[in-house]
Amino acid sequence: MAAGFRVAVELTAALVVGGGIGYVLDQWLGTQPWLLILFFVIGAAAGFLTIYRTGQELDARARERRKAEAAEQKAKTDRKGSGR
Amino acid sequence: MAASPIEQFEVYPLLPIQVGNLDLSFTNSSLWMVFAVALSTVILAISARGGALVPSRLQSVSEMMYELVANMVRDNVGSGGRKYFPFIFTLFVFVLFANLLGMVPHSFTVTSHLIVTFALAAVIFIGVTIIGFYRHGFGYLRMFFPHGAPLWTAVILVPVELVSYLSRPVSLSVRLFANMTVGHVLLKVIAGFVVSLGVFGIFPFAFLIALSALELFIAALQAYVFAILTCIYLHDALHMH
Repeated sequence: MAAGFRVAVELTAALVVGGGIGYVLDQWLGTQPWLLILFFVIGAAAGFLTIYRTGQELDARARERRKAEAAEQKAKTDRKGSGR
Repeated sequence: MAASPIEQFEVYPLLPIQVGNLDLSFTNSSLWMVFAVALSTVILAISARGGALVPSRLQSVSEMMYELVANMVRDNVGSGGRKYFPFIFTLFVFVLFANLLGMVPHSFTVTSHLIVTFALAAVIFIGVTIIGFYRHGFGYLRMFFPHGAPLWTAVILVPVELVSYLSRPVSLSVRLFANMTVGHVLLKVIAGFVVSLGVFGIFPFAFLIALSALELFIAALQAYVFAILTCIYLHDALHMH
């Protein structure tokens, strides 16, 4: 659940920041609504990029944990084998 | 009878202070921040004084917190991370105590206000950016352009990376704020059912107990997530991905 929530927040945050930059630039330069549209799309791309990186990071962590667990399991069976 | 579930988030001044046009009043929010700092300082000071070989309960708690953060910094920041341990530890302990104190009935949850969590995240964001530029000089700008990509793609990639970088403090602060706010609203709504259902209020009451346990877990988990993400950002600034 924590991972899902993290991804959801990251996607919306990038969209909000992208849209916000576009909106402010539009107000400043008087080019409504073009920069808002452009930066909204950029924000969406940035959101997906962040999610992709988060996914990779979580994946790497899960793989490491699985490896550690497997090594522990192996050590346990080895000990049992040598004891007999 | 049924109080509004968002009444608990109201900030009101306890000690009005007005400096020019600035409202610097000491509010209930400030009071609970002081409580969080004071309680964590007292607990850490008492448990550090003994330094017994066989730790007391309180000393074990402090040692567990210390080890948790020490491992986090070692695993996530990598080399050169030791220097930033005091900052990460302070951050973790402050957020943890603010979250946990919020679980005390009739208390005020400091971290359920976006401006508080955003102030924390902004300090981290600005600090990490300064560290990055200090370490790499203008080479830190390469952060916004992946190594080895064709030059013409910079037109698309640089704005995307820039927005992705700028969205970090927003996602960092919103995550903590949303978790705390949602949890406390839910607790209040379910608690309202207990009163209005009379005898059958026993069912929402049982659910409330389980929910309180879950909220305690989330309070600790979100403090951990906040600290670990700070570590990851610090890692990016120190080593560049």
